[in-house]
Amino acid sequence: MKPSTVKIKKMPSRFKHQVPKYKVTRSAACINCGTCAKSCPYGVHERLEGYNKMSVPIDYKCIGFECQKNDFYCVDKCPRNALSISLNPMYQTLGDYRWTADMITGTWIMAETGYPPERKDLEYNTGNSGGGFDKLRLKFPAGQPKIDKFEISTEIPLNRRNDGRANVIISTPVYGGGMSFGSVSLPTMVSKAHCASLWNTFTCTGEGGYPEVLQPYNDHVITQVATGLFGVREETIQRVKIVEFKYAQGAKPGLGGHLLGEKNTESVARMREAVKGTSLFSPFPFHSVYSIEDHKKHIDWIKQMNPNALVSVKVSTPNDVDMVAVGSYYAGAHIIHIDGGYGGTGAAPDIAKKNIAMPIEYAITKVHNFLKDEGARDAVTLIASGGIRTAHDLAKAICLGADGAVIGTAEMVSLECVRCGNCESGRGCARGIASTDSELADLFNASHFELL
Amino acid sequence: MPKKYHITAKVTPLNLDYVYKFKIERGENCINCGRCTKVCIYEAHKRGKGDPRKMADPNTVVCRNCFRCIQECPRGALEKSLDKDFLNIGGSYWKSDMFITLWKQAEDGKVPVTGAGYRGPFTGPGFDSMWTDMSEIVRPTRDGIHGREYISTSVELGRKLNHLAFDESGKLLSKIHDTIDIPIPIIFDFPKDNLSPNVKLAIVRAAAELNTCIVLSPDHITADIKKYIKNIIPIISHKEIDRHSALIKTVRMVALDYDEEILSSLPELQDKIKKIHNVLTIVRVPATKSVEQIVSRLAKNGAEIIHVVADYCGMENDGSAGLNRRLAKDIIRAVHLKLVEDRIRDEVTIIFSGGIAMAEHVPKAMLCGADLTAIDLPLLIALGARLYEEPEKLLLFPEGLDKIAVRTVMHRVVNLMGAWHSQLLEVMGAMGIREARRLRGETGRAIFFEEIDNETFGKLFKKRETANV
Repeated sequence: MKPSTVKIKKMPSRFKHQVPKYKVTRSAACINCGTCAKSCPYGVHERLEGYNKMSVPIDYKCIGFECQKNDFYCVDKCPRNALSISLNPMYQTLGDYRWTADMITGTWIMAETGYPPERKDLEYNTGNSGGGFDKLRLKFPAGQPKIDKFEISTEIPLNRRNDGRANVIISTPVYGGGMSFGSVSLPTMVSKAHCASLWNTFTCTGEGGYPEVLQPYNDHVITQVATGLFGVREETIQRVKIVEFKYAQGAKPGLGGHLLGEKNTESVARMREAVKGTSLFSPFPFHSVYSIEDHKKHIDWIKQMNPNALVSVKVSTPNDVDMVAVGSYYAGAHIIHIDGGYGGTGAAPDIAKKNIAMPIEYAITKVHNFLKDEGARDAVTLIASGGIRTAHDLAKAICLGADGAVIGTAEMVSLECVRCGNCESGRGCARGIASTDSELADLFNASHFELL
Repeated sequence: MPKKYHITAKVTPLNLDYVYKFKIERGENCINCGRCTKVCIYEAHKRGKGDPRKMADPNTVVCRNCFRCIQECPRGALEKSLDKDFLNIGGSYWKSDMFITLWKQAEDGKVPVTGAGYRGPFTGPGFDSMWTDMSEIVRPTRDGIHGREYISTSVELGRKLNHLAFDESGKLLSKIHDTIDIPIPIIFDFPKDNLSPNVKLAIVRAAAELNTCIVLSPDHITADIKKYIKNIIPIISHKEIDRHSALIKTVRMVALDYDEEILSSLPELQDKIKKIHNVLTIVRVPATKSVEQIVSRLAKNGAEIIHVVADYCGMENDGSAGLNRRLAKDIIRAVHLKLVEDRIRDEVTIIFSGGIAMAEHVPKAMLCGADLTAIDLPLLIALGARLYEEPEKLLLFPEGLDKIAVRTVMHRVVNLMGAWHSQLLEVMGAMGIREARRLRGETGRAIFFEEIDNETFGKLFKKRETANV
């Protein structure tokens, strides 16, 4: 059930223009009669006060060919046939196979309005990659199902071990991925945390330490213990409900992390207890873990330090991910978090993103079945990430065997990321991803809506 | 521990036009307000040099697709599209993006790194339908990349013994064959295209600098190239062995073009060459339908090194345009498995070439069963060559390339290999494999799409897919 405290607000874009799907062309035959400006309810055509001539059409507001059926369709209305609509070549430069332009646009609309797009011309739930989630389709029963949406529960418990530790239940089967301080800005982290508390779910600090401004959200923050152990302190472990061990990340499995010197600013360095301006390596793997027994020692260490916290283990998806999962279960983990090979990142070698480790779609089934055969499936929570882009992906991941999912890129896109992929370069994100929390909350509402 | 092999990159821009991805056009309704110059952090927009009241044409080469100028222009006067050249270059195998990343790697010698997740299709034909494995808990192989441990990428070329034989007194009876070590599992295959002398010399020098080899026809071995003869593998017809005996005396390996006669006469040919000089013989076999049978017979006949050559898109080379031509991944696997079946795989070295276009193809070819790979086109793309697949293969060199200094051209090739070497280390590091030789045929450490998709979704997808066929 959606927490009743979540209010949906309309959060318009920070930018003057959106990326247009269509191109509206006004030819020289236009006599500036203004018919189009009067008839178009979306505001594509304008004649500014005091101007004789029509303004250049505002393409991004146009709903495209589906408008043909309307009696206000400008192309038909124009007395001189001066208007035409075509696909905008600009749209091709947005998105890619996995995150199509439609999906990005759809996600922006959801983040803005809190509801799925009303437009019918956006295929925003499936991408164009031709495999995995993009090949699976959900089967909906014909006709309207007679279920009251308020009766549908979307909550999931995270502690299934019955070990007396916190009985954490999240209201929506998805939480925010680990993005460290340094890789994203502080406002982005706070937005994520605020959204998580509104939705009664979690966000994760990543491995760059626990900024103080997140303390009001302690109950909704997962703190990460990654291989670099940056910013890991006794008090940060003790203040949270969930501690996550990051063994590997789907986008760069087996490669560890590397924060460039120029990104290691004064505040980042303080948080990470490092020297400003030096490059910081997160090695791979944990240099204290070379066996499953070592791994158990790790988990015991956290459990000792915080007697109430749940332990999540984040691993990527090699061939033997099923064995790793079962091993983690026996070592005492509450949550097995598998991060698929096509997952997001702030920076990773292209060769790793494409080629190393399997996509999450296969890993979920593999791990689910293996845990089931081991008789351990009901005692552990399986969380999937690495390519969960939309509410449909989330539902598909759960159908395949996960209990819930973690999203990262979708959150960024809701903050108007265009996935240009330059997060790592010198000056970092050209769009300064740092926005208001409400946009994120709206995305959650839209996803929630889709899920129902 | 062997001495560490390291390729030193040196930033080497090439002052020639090359392909870029985005094109931004400024519409007539631009009011020259300069907003775009403020929002663009890549400096694509600048005011006119002659007349600062006007905006200059956008410098779209530097555009990184952030959409700031597009979204913030008060008049919506900017339009962006994919550049026509970018859309036209390459084809279905040589994707447009490859040209840009190869060009970039040749410039800075760095591993291409970007933010955000993978962007491409879920899977594709050939090498795109496999993933490499990783190890969650391993010895710190990754440290090799930061220099604390050593990951060796060297491979051995030559015939090896199946087993050692000893006499009753324990004295070794077997004669151990000579082998040649090269530090990267990549040799250069000389492109047949007409190259200018500076490019030719530069590529040969790059091979020498990297300590690898280049396959070259004897006509190309001019006086300035002769200096690097130890890194040259002359390719000749088996009928010309005598004619080239002076040349054979100076080299370490020689390549023979395959024809049917070689199948039976190989032992004599190898003997004949060995009598001239102690060199290893490579037999260069086109990847036809029956390539695994040919390779098997050659191997049984004592072949030392067999070089399987697919076409430039990594496809079977049978001259027909049929759709049933096998792709590199399947050709290599078939050859490897046939030799395993014949219990002779460990005795012979297999080089694969054709369609090795990106760094990832090297470890993938090795996982499928090749000992090493040979490349040609990426070397030329590093120098700004443009390749078009349709309507037929066309390779265009940039104007002015023949005037570029040999050092510059050489450095770009070295940079490219440096980037590939680092990427090979990334893949091996993730797998926890510290010797490239151990990649060969390790299919258990690869994930093949057909197998895993069938395992996971077989029940769901099979029916529909059979119907589609």
